[in-house]
Amino acid sequence: MTAPLETTGKSAKAPPEATLQGASKKAIQGRSLGQIAWMRLKRDKVALVGGAVVVFLILVAVFAPLIVKLLAHPPNEFHYDQVNEATSLPINEPGGISGDFWFGVEPVNGRDLFSRTVYGAQVSLLIAFLATLLSVIIGTVMGVIAGYFGGWVDAVISRLMDIFLAFPLLLFALALAGAMPDEVAGLQGYWLRVVVIVFIIGFFNWPYIGRIVRGQTLSLREREFVDAARSLGGRSGYILAKELLPNLAAPILVYSTLLIPTNILFEAALSFLSVGVPAPTATWGGMLSDATHWYKVDPWFMFPPGLAIFITVLAFNLFGDGLRDAIDPRGR
Amino acid sequence: MIVYIIRRLIAAVLLLFVVTAVVFVIFFEVPRLGGQTADDLASRYVGKTAGPEQTHLAAERLGFTDPLYEQYGRFIKGVVAGQDFDTGTSVEHCPAPCLGYSFKTQNPVLPDLLDRLPVTLSLAAGAAVLWLLGGVATGVLSALKRGSIFDRGAMGVALAGVSLPIFFTGLLALSIFSYNLKWTPPGGTNPMDQDNPWDWAASLILPWITLAFLYAAQYARLTRAGMLETMGEDFIRTARAKGLRERTVVVKHGLRSALTPILTIFGLDLGLLLGGAILTETTFSLPGIGQYAVIALNNQDLPKVLGVTLVGAVFIILANLIVDLLYAVIDPRVRAA
Amino acid sequence: MKRVHLEMTKMRVTAIAAGVALAMSLAACGGGGGDGDGDGGDNATPEFNAGVNKVYNPSDKKGGTLKMANDADFDSLDPGDTYYGYSWNFVRNYTRSLVTFKSAPGEKSNELVPDLAESLGEASPDAKTWTYKLREGIKYEDGTPVKSEDVKYAVARSLDKDILVNGPTYFNDFLDLKGYAGPYKDKDKTMKKFTAVETPDDRTIIFHLIKPFSGFDYLAMLPSTAPVPAAKDTGTKYKEHVLSTGPYMFASNELEKRFTLTRNKYYDPKSDPDTGRKALPDEITVDLNVNQEDIDQRLQSGDLDVAISGLGVLAETRATILQDPDQKKFSDTADQARLWFTSFDNSVKPFDNIHCRKAVMYATDHEGYLRAYGGSSGGQIATNMMPPLIPGYKKIDLYEFESKPNGDIDKAKDELKQCGQPDGFTTNISYRTERAAEKATAEALQQSLDKVGIKTELKPYPQDDYGKIYAGNVAFSTKNKLGLRVYGWGADWNDGFGFLSQIVDSRVIRPAGNTNFNVNDPEIDALLDKALSTLDTKEREGLWAEIDQKVMEGAYYLPGVDAKQLLYRPERLTNVFITNAYNMYDYTTLGVQK
Repeated sequence: MTAPLETTGKSAKAPPEATLQGASKKAIQGRSLGQIAWMRLKRDKVALVGGAVVVFLILVAVFAPLIVKLLAHPPNEFHYDQVNEATSLPINEPGGISGDFWFGVEPVNGRDLFSRTVYGAQVSLLIAFLATLLSVIIGTVMGVIAGYFGGWVDAVISRLMDIFLAFPLLLFALALAGAMPDEVAGLQGYWLRVVVIVFIIGFFNWPYIGRIVRGQTLSLREREFVDAARSLGGRSGYILAKELLPNLAAPILVYSTLLIPTNILFEAALSFLSVGVPAPTATWGGMLSDATHWYKVDPWFMFPPGLAIFITVLAFNLFGDGLRDAIDPRGR
Repeated sequence: MIVYIIRRLIAAVLLLFVVTAVVFVIFFEVPRLGGQTADDLASRYVGKTAGPEQTHLAAERLGFTDPLYEQYGRFIKGVVAGQDFDTGTSVEHCPAPCLGYSFKTQNPVLPDLLDRLPVTLSLAAGAAVLWLLGGVATGVLSALKRGSIFDRGAMGVALAGVSLPIFFTGLLALSIFSYNLKWTPPGGTNPMDQDNPWDWAASLILPWITLAFLYAAQYARLTRAGMLETMGEDFIRTARAKGLRERTVVVKHGLRSALTPILTIFGLDLGLLLGGAILTETTFSLPGIGQYAVIALNNQDLPKVLGVTLVGAVFIILANLIVDLLYAVIDPRVRAA
Repeated sequence: MKRVHLEMTKMRVTAIAAGVALAMSLAACGGGGGDGDGDGGDNATPEFNAGVNKVYNPSDKKGGTLKMANDADFDSLDPGDTYYGYSWNFVRNYTRSLVTFKSAPGEKSNELVPDLAESLGEASPDAKTWTYKLREGIKYEDGTPVKSEDVKYAVARSLDKDILVNGPTYFNDFLDLKGYAGPYKDKDKTMKKFTAVETPDDRTIIFHLIKPFSGFDYLAMLPSTAPVPAAKDTGTKYKEHVLSTGPYMFASNELEKRFTLTRNKYYDPKSDPDTGRKALPDEITVDLNVNQEDIDQRLQSGDLDVAISGLGVLAETRATILQDPDQKKFSDTADQARLWFTSFDNSVKPFDNIHCRKAVMYATDHEGYLRAYGGSSGGQIATNMMPPLIPGYKKIDLYEFESKPNGDIDKAKDELKQCGQPDGFTTNISYRTERAAEKATAEALQQSLDKVGIKTELKPYPQDDYGKIYAGNVAFSTKNKLGLRVYGWGADWNDGFGFLSQIVDSRVIRPAGNTNFNVNDPEIDALLDKALSTLDTKEREGLWAEIDQKVMEGAYYLPGVDAKQLLYRPERLTNVFITNAYNMYDYTTLGVQK
């Protein structure tokens, strides 16, 4: 589940760990977790719709340049003929929508909103996926180590998680992004920003995954199959890799899927506050930020980016919910 | 029990130190990594005709040339005992707790924050009441009427709620209710400037509802999930078997149990929100701590940003602490840990 | 970083006889005239441009609270430390300088009239010594009398740009300082070493200049001459409570949030016969850091009286207002002595080659530049540097901006070949983050330059430090390859010098805080000096045009838009008119109806 964006997903602490207790019990009996989950998922129409939309969006993001080239105008191209000279507003009502400009045009410069929205998907999904990946990698490693080895290692890592969770994340991200110099390690402009944002979101969100993984590891550690593996002479590394990780895969998958929409919202917030990817690159948050200036005279401007964010986040949420319910149906 | 409380308190204070230290380091190291020297930092605070020598003098006066731990030490001392700052024309005393001194606007940071706090508090408190009541009630009802149209509808709306960014819903709300229908005052109205509670509420109602919608959605889902799980537990079956009224079963036994994790999250969310509801305040132009942070960031006024970040961290840690202590009160197993 | 400035349509350099000024002030008094709780201001009919060149809704009715709001914060309320046009306009409510611009509509507002002084300055024949005599009986808000030494101290403290960083540097440039650096460095409040300014008695003050300046009255007009008693100076803290000599004083000042002015009981209107101040409201409140859209909305809903920055409504609001006759009648449009332009950085290759600069001049889509500022409601395409309002203006269109408003791609490509970059090159465009129009300009430039192969990246910087740390900082600009820097400039006062000097005089170039980004031509400097000592008006005006021509020939700047803005005039305002001195409503004459 995702958390609202005045916070990030960190507040979702207690319930997730609780609801997944049942999952691991089933793992050793009968069919594998994966098979059972897949069966349940297939029956969940809503989740499938969500999943389909997710796939669709990923395709749109990947093929954005092609789509725009074939169907619309370049995203940064100006079209003065679409905008009234004296008022700066699109000439076609509403919002400049016409057969040539499906989502309308931007005020002042007449940029094609369809193209910009499509390209915006690239930025949003790229950053969200990469950040989630970073969180998952760090979170899984830390969580497993904490949960498996216990003792002071666990204590240290848990305190570390507390520290990370104690940071007012959005504020921090703003400050860091704003203080970033223009060029670091040979990167600049667009890619520097992408790396910085991915780093900030991913690096500060790892406790979300970390806590869950730790909880799972803790409970799995006590399971019989681990004891069995140990008694057969398996070393820690082997146990970790062969026994624990497969069982962790499910919750990690679920919570990653649920982390992605949070990250999409986070990136949108950063763009909204003008510390995201720099202009003129189209981002959903950036477009909404521009739209705030025009909501009185051109309210349609806010809909393409706003709805794009909404649909994307909703789709991931539906799919993620479905995934979680498939793995542990008690919450249904 | 006492031992537990003391341990938690100490942990909280330590955590505060660590967070402040990290924030401090980041604010002064990151520019350094980007190739900025102490003089570069000082150049923000001197006149436009200043030459390199004067800039360097300013850097020394402002303490930028001292090693980082010294600067941090001075800062901590300032928080505890107050600090003096040399502005060039005079020596300004910043009374304890001194969260920093802005050389751009020539005034200490804390009074500004305290001044803006009521706005953020009003925003957070009002929204919190709405979302807690609304979210929990909806969640409980949904759980009880599991599978019904109400349940599906409510959860559908809730899902939509957590999928919408507040700067979109806020904007939409402003457009419709403030601009078109003129039911609420325009953005930028300072709720603390209003003469009566009615106007105060009117200036906040739109941000309250928009914000609460966001959280209520999540809380509805959480409550529902928690209730469903709890209601399936054995002790509920026992309670029913004992012949208790359904209402008692639900509220006294079911809800109470399900609420514990909800309250945990509530505490944390509130803490985070108090640290600066940046997006909401920006969208509605409310003069609270969040807006202060954005202005400070845009002006690259580091002392102010530092101050706000610290206040935010304090609230979060405080909220964590309270929640942990409450947990200890409610759940005896925790105390023994 | 330069801001909104004063403007004028006609410039008077020679001293204006006090008598003429007096006659003018009487004539400017709209209907009614007279003082006291007179009548007037029964609802005039609102119509478009009713406040242009005439007084709309004239009134003498006192009372009420004038509600103003600022979308940002003042650079400083300290008269010795401020450089915004709206601030120089507003400051006259709580301070009085030696002379000031007349508060009257139309051309009369370009005249300088005596305020603190009895008459305009008396110049020595070589225009290097200027003498003023203060009026009798002027007091501060606490009843203490104003002495000429206080004016001397005010000027002295304003010299120190390390402490009071924002204000103009004209006194630093023109006074015969002999190394004096102000009382904060000198630590001597009696200012013995400040020989450039003499105060032989409590009412006389004499300025000694290092070079002749026939327009010195303009410097006497600067808020830096508003008296500050040395004993009560608190340096950087003075802005928190400025001691008033004007009709209002500070009742409260919540930093960065708002401040309130109430009547100064020690202000005597009889000591102020020339300026035209009306001091009608009982109270003036100014809210700071209010969101710009909210300002526009509150103006229209009647919750706010004045948007103090005077830059007019936002582009989107302009759109609504102009389209709706019921709203249009509440607005006034004004030309400004302001140019939106882009400057080159000659230290960033390949802009060291004039042909590469000319390539940009030809490639730019000028219509696009204009549209970024709101199209025809935002101004008109500028072909040269001086705005049409400056006397001596001549249209110079060396690069065919008017006949080819979308640029001339072929000529641009030709220039590229000539500078050795036939396939184009890459560079960066900087602009001020907070300014939507500058962002739009940068994006428009990016698009048009792309057509000839010039690839650019956009780099926004905060406006507060734009001049000091970023685009106006020589080292920063060179290091970050800011070949093109979007900017704007309004005249400090309406004549060629007031507009051009800070942007084309090579001697004002500093390591940081520049407004002249790169013009370094000794011929231009020589022409500027010649103009300063030319007493004949027509000849002088001709020189400004010559300078303009040279700047355009050197392709130092890319002119964009001669600015216009749209001001909103809420119904309850009385006595409203646009002063050409500051290009916005005159803030010393406004009143409110209940």
